[in-house]
Amino acid sequence: MRRRSFLVVLLGLAFGARADPLLDPITKGAPVRQGRVKLDMPLLADNGNSVSMSVSVESPMTEADHVRAIHLISERNPEARMASFHLGPRAGAAEITSRVRLAGSQRVVALAEMSDGSFWMGSANVVVTLSACVDELGS
Amino acid sequence: MTTRREFLKVSAAGGLVFGFHLPAANAQNVAPEINAWVVVRPDDTVIIRYARSEMGQGSMTSAAQLVAEELDCDWSKVRVEYADTNAHVRRKRVWGDMAAVGSRTIRQSQDYLRKAGAGAREMLLIAAAQGWNAPVAECTASNGVITHGPSGRKTSFGKVAGEAAKLAPPKEVTLKDPKDWKIAGKPIKRVDIPDIVAGRIRYGIDAQLPGMVYAAIAQCPVFGGRLKSVDAAKIEGRRGVIKVLPMEDYVAVVADNWWRAKEALKELPIEWSFGAGESASSESILQFLRSGLDDASNVVVARRNGELEQGLAGAAKVLEAEYFTPYLAHATLEPMGCTAVLKDGRVDVWTSTQNAEASHATAAATAGVPLENVYVHRVQLGGGFGRRGGSQDFVRQGVQIAKAMGSTPVKLLWTREEDTQHDFYRPLSVVRIKAGLDASGNPVAWYSRVSAPSIISTLLKLPLKEGVDPQAVASFADQPYAIPNVLIEYAQRNPHVPVGFWRTVGHSQNPFMRESFVDELAKAAGKDPYEYRRGLLPAATKEHGVLEATAKAARWAEPLPAGVHRGIAVTEAYGSYVAAVAELAVSDKNVVDIKRLVLGIDSGHVVNPDNVVAQMQGSAVFMLSAMFWGEITIKDGRVEQSNFHDYRMMRLREMPKVEVVLAPSGGFWGGIGEPGQAAIAPAICNALFAATGKRVRSLPLKNHGFEIA
Repeated sequence: MRRRSFLVVLLGLAFGARADPLLDPITKGAPVRQGRVKLDMPLLADNGNSVSMSVSVESPMTEADHVRAIHLISERNPEARMASFHLGPRAGAAEITSRVRLAGSQRVVALAEMSDGSFWMGSANVVVTLSACVDELGS
Repeated sequence: MTTRREFLKVSAAGGLVFGFHLPAANAQNVAPEINAWVVVRPDDTVIIRYARSEMGQGSMTSAAQLVAEELDCDWSKVRVEYADTNAHVRRKRVWGDMAAVGSRTIRQSQDYLRKAGAGAREMLLIAAAQGWNAPVAECTASNGVITHGPSGRKTSFGKVAGEAAKLAPPKEVTLKDPKDWKIAGKPIKRVDIPDIVAGRIRYGIDAQLPGMVYAAIAQCPVFGGRLKSVDAAKIEGRRGVIKVLPMEDYVAVVADNWWRAKEALKELPIEWSFGAGESASSESILQFLRSGLDDASNVVVARRNGELEQGLAGAAKVLEAEYFTPYLAHATLEPMGCTAVLKDGRVDVWTSTQNAEASHATAAATAGVPLENVYVHRVQLGGGFGRRGGSQDFVRQGVQIAKAMGSTPVKLLWTREEDTQHDFYRPLSVVRIKAGLDASGNPVAWYSRVSAPSIISTLLKLPLKEGVDPQAVASFADQPYAIPNVLIEYAQRNPHVPVGFWRTVGHSQNPFMRESFVDELAKAAGKDPYEYRRGLLPAATKEHGVLEATAKAARWAEPLPAGVHRGIAVTEAYGSYVAAVAELAVSDKNVVDIKRLVLGIDSGHVVNPDNVVAQMQGSAVFMLSAMFWGEITIKDGRVEQSNFHDYRMMRLREMPKVEVVLAPSGGFWGGIGEPGQAAIAPAICNALFAATGKRVRSLPLKNHGFEIA
């Protein structure tokens, strides 16, 4: 529980576009701006085991101006940094499609690292409809 | 879709709105909707929406009582209507969690339901006050009528609903003190009972659509296996057969009626690739679990107080025992099934589900359509018990099959045998318990190691906190007795058999072990089992209170007739506190005659006392069935039981008298649907010990030669 609330706080900072220790290893303290990144995930998933998602980033994908990497960050998974996709101008389009495992309902962040060193982000809320006869899971 | 039959039934006042109909996308935006939960018609009919499922647990009525209480409406004018899942996703999940699981429908939604009722009342009052040009503080609502105090003018909810619906919802509302309740807290009759009795209620299995075809399925008999091949030509041309659908882990035969589909499937040659599970048996699984009792590795600590070893070393007497509980099936009276149709990018689903929202998500993901294009039509469930929540396998299959059939509606229905053999079973569990008693017989050390599968790891695929599955160690890790040195360990051992949430989950088995062992300690200490527990439970605990209330109602202190013996047990479960006293006689042929079963519960608040009594009685039927006969065994990787002849239920004439003691202490909201089962098995087994001197450390009782009278 403590770890979760810790991450929530960190991502709250991220949404406020200030540097934070969770994103620092990626951003090295550079500011993160909202926009240019579109993260598509279903509002509802009946199980967190395999949730489909896609990320697209507005970018001409030229040698001079392209997306260098797309990072997926989870608010609630034991491993907060779920994946990093490395791209180059030859990728043609800054788009990825994948499936991720989510440890419950949460906000997921896609962070795009541009060739000019700037960072942009988009996010999505996913509700995992856990039909569990348990108290202890919370939420 | 226009030709689709529509039988929307509008029942009498106080009844339930229900039927197979296709609502338009915005059907639930109809005016005058005061808020998402409350619609008031001009004729003063109040529609209260219900978001979760109804499977006999009565929450549909209790939830409406909570809304109606704060609304101050006329209960005789209330109708309950299911919230629509399509409107739900379009309206940003306005009705919240739709899951009827974990005994949490009421306790998890009571706050927002009561606020919805209070908020709607406030809006109706403001609308009336504005109409009279009077201050709202001078207006009061009662029984659906609004009165302006100073002038004595009156109006009804229905008359001002149109204006009220235009108002902004109040930011803050004050909820009533439960002691002032007039509708909640009362034994109001369940809204769905008249339709059930009259045969008007619709279950998932009742779905009927024009042009509908039927599917029967065979899943790989060995869990984890895959389909290798089918020889579809063998049943080609058979009367009524339309299509054979080979899927990854099952085969479906689609025909013009279900019997033909099922019979053709029997004749269909199917080859499976069984996989690693094929060699498993009950013996090999038990051996695997038992190894978890002794392994030094892959074991985690679930609770630690003091120093166990020191406690044991200083004890005057040390007792040790091993307990076992088997896999159990849910065996809902209505087998798994799903009716679905995919047309023009839209998916319609009728299925008995404990979580319509999860079914909705599964249907969308399986069909590959946006959530906004899915409609899960709400129906009553022919039993749930946890089978229809956590796993939406039947929805996935139903939509896959419908998708393969183009735009033809398909009704998938499992046979009883498929249902028994492809469940997500209550996990089996092996537990070693050890305790040390001081010279006066009080426990100074308690050790339990639970070796069992984890539902949370394997079904929900969620990470475990510190490696502990809270359900696997339930009632051990949170045991309430005053014992200075406690160590509870968990060895997660997952055989190939899928496990899931079975009514009462960990509390369906661990209290049997814990409370039986406490009886062993009482015996070793030479003390009365009730007084022993009472002495070990701190007076401030709720367990202490419910134990006393139940023992008093059972007249524990009074002598019993010759040949009749007693047992007692107490535990927490799902936020409530339960105790049981069993009185029984055992014949020389081991026939058990249960004379009396007294079940006590402290659920904090009680929303509908009659329904709590019914849930406690139903829990007794369910648990007595499980403890006398319930056992799923494995041979060659597959389940040996298939139907009610070898997976037995309690019969009417076998059912003992159940007396329910409601002992609500107020101030909290405990669950109702599951706690009732938790204390029954140990109370019965402790009484069996008193009667026979035989300590039962594994279930079911049939394996010990016991029968029920």
